[in-house]
Amino acid sequence: MDLLLKYIILEDPNVRFVVVAIILLGAVSGIVGSFNFLRKKTLIGETVAHSMLPGVLIAFLLSGVKSPIIMILGAALSGWMSIWLVDYITHKSKIKSDSALAIVLSSFFGLGIVLLTMIQSSFSGNQSGLDHYIFGNAAAMTPEDSTAFAAVCLIVFLLVASSYLSIKATIFNSDYAQSIGISRRKIDVLISILTILTISVGIKAVGIIMMSALLIIPPTASRFWTDRLVPMLIISGCFGALGGWLGSFISYYETNMPTGPLTIVCVSLFAFVSMMFAPKKGIIYQRWNKLLLRRRINEENLLKAAVQNEVRGKGKLFDRAQINKRQYFEQKLWNRTINRLKNKGFVYKVHTGYTLSMTGRNYGADIDRRHKIWEVYLQRRMQMSVHLVHDEAETMEHFLTPEIEEEILGELGLCSRFNPLLEIHEIIPDPDIA
Amino acid sequence: MDGFWIVLTGFLVASSTGMLGNLLLLRKMSMMGDALSHAVLPGIVIAYLISGSRASFPLLMGAIIMGLLTTFLIHFFSNKGKIQGDAAMGTVFTFLFAIGIILVTKYAGQADIDADCVLHGELAFVPLQKSSYLGIAAPDAVWTLLLLFTLIQLVFWVGYKGWLLTSFNSEYAASIGIQTALWHYSLMAATSVATVVSFESVGAILVIAFLVVPAATAFLITKDLKRMVMVIIVQGFLSSLGGYMLSNILNASISGSMAVISFVGFSIVFVVKKRGLKSIP
Repeated sequence: MDLLLKYIILEDPNVRFVVVAIILLGAVSGIVGSFNFLRKKTLIGETVAHSMLPGVLIAFLLSGVKSPIIMILGAALSGWMSIWLVDYITHKSKIKSDSALAIVLSSFFGLGIVLLTMIQSSFSGNQSGLDHYIFGNAAAMTPEDSTAFAAVCLIVFLLVASSYLSIKATIFNSDYAQSIGISRRKIDVLISILTILTISVGIKAVGIIMMSALLIIPPTASRFWTDRLVPMLIISGCFGALGGWLGSFISYYETNMPTGPLTIVCVSLFAFVSMMFAPKKGIIYQRWNKLLLRRRINEENLLKAAVQNEVRGKGKLFDRAQINKRQYFEQKLWNRTINRLKNKGFVYKVHTGYTLSMTGRNYGADIDRRHKIWEVYLQRRMQMSVHLVHDEAETMEHFLTPEIEEEILGELGLCSRFNPLLEIHEIIPDPDIA
Repeated sequence: MDGFWIVLTGFLVASSTGMLGNLLLLRKMSMMGDALSHAVLPGIVIAYLISGSRASFPLLMGAIIMGLLTTFLIHFFSNKGKIQGDAAMGTVFTFLFAIGIILVTKYAGQADIDADCVLHGELAFVPLQKSSYLGIAAPDAVWTLLLLFTLIQLVFWVGYKGWLLTSFNSEYAASIGIQTALWHYSLMAATSVATVVSFESVGAILVIAFLVVPAATAFLITKDLKRMVMVIIVQGFLSSLGGYMLSNILNASISGSMAVISFVGFSIVFVVKKRGLKSIP
């Protein structure tokens, strides 16, 4: 508890830089990653992050010092080259973007390893810490790093805010955006700049893989919660920041736990939880919805069959055998469906069988009417043959709303009191009569 | 002699992974190599912690199981969770890699294992450990890779028709009753095995490079699967040889140099192809 308090108020100055920097990094990469995610170029971050290694090392070789600004510049330059190269390969040859990403990633990183080993074998003194760029080391961050961080975050926020509308238009409909005078090229460059800036400041803190993960996972998680851009950016940023906060807290609390990977694990957990439990898009919600739909369809089919039974003069009582002549129900399914209908008050049990209640009869008749309206519509408007319309209508009857029904009747030039039962008899021969 | 073994090791890795990379490339799954080589890390670490030794077999099993799990998870995320494919892949492998790094860091004290040695296997050490079979004293890595090479040749040529159909037109393959999922998972299993076996001796980065670069070079030159394999083998050999020479000049990592040279080969073919296409209108 004491530790938690100490952590929250950031009493420890060493921790202060790290925590603030990681939270900022999480937020920024959540936002920038969302743009790449929506452009379906999620893995570009992975390639850019790997490709920065040679840039960092060349910057070190040329300058001889480990100043963060120079390293960031070097990283940004080689990151830029990698994006350009991926684009070039995909545009000028038949190689697809996934292969181009892998090619650029492995060759740049290979070059990085060559340079790293060269430096390690030929320089003696000041090269330690260069491999932090591969695995990251949040604890080794200096106040200077944190300042660089904050500056970059500010730039990213400003860039996003200043051209938010153009970015949005280009992401969702680039043809439209071009037609109103937004240059697609410019927005591509802008998003690339954002990506490169974020990664180039982030890799030293959390390492290459963790950096690309921060660009991939928060947007993935936030996509489950919303379909709108601003909420997605906010949620994604929050997931990144929260993950960073939790990750750095755990690594502060437990010895021998690296910050970067912990952050990723936390963010991934958000993604898993979102995938399972998010309303509307979560797996559980979708499963549940499917189950409800299946149930409703079974109920409606049963009611419709019962109504048809009555209309054809088979009496008001019905049982499974009778219904099965029109709509087959297995014993188990029958039991479950009829029980639900009983509980909802659509049918009553009458010693040997069941009978429809008033509401049940109306409901079933509605379904039957929709079925027939759709059949008439398909025949008259879509010129479909008599034999084909029934199957189509079997599914559509469950999805026609009263509004659509009204519209179809209007379209067909029929009044809403149109009785399809009278009309349809001439077209569809009744199996009982035949 | 050391040079010979190193080049041979590189060549074996290039030709085994290259042939699988070929199939991955045709399925637009080239980043899978990158994903798998990161995602198997926790498998290796857990296997190491359980078995307590750095013997290849348990590590291999751990990695293969983790490779299949990765494939399954990616499939689950993109099919059931409806996440777009690249994001599903990115989420899964970075998550698993993070777990791996945490395990490595956590148990670094009691275990002789670190992320560096798993990811950047060093080719220079290959000739140090030798054992002889059939009267030939060759490095251990060469024996293992020779086994892998044979295995992959077997898998590739025995299933050649299936690979051909499922790579170029998986919908057609499915429609004539081929179990495309089975082929997919076999390819993933083979890729996991090849990735793991190889990066024990050459490091992850060279595996990723050899998975995609020779295959992409071949793809630029021809669309015939058999010819692609030939190009891959030649490319792999030249990259290994050139990479070894480069590393001698620069006094740098052999694996990294091989990756760089392999990219140089790709670039040359790329430029020649582009020029060639321009001159023939």
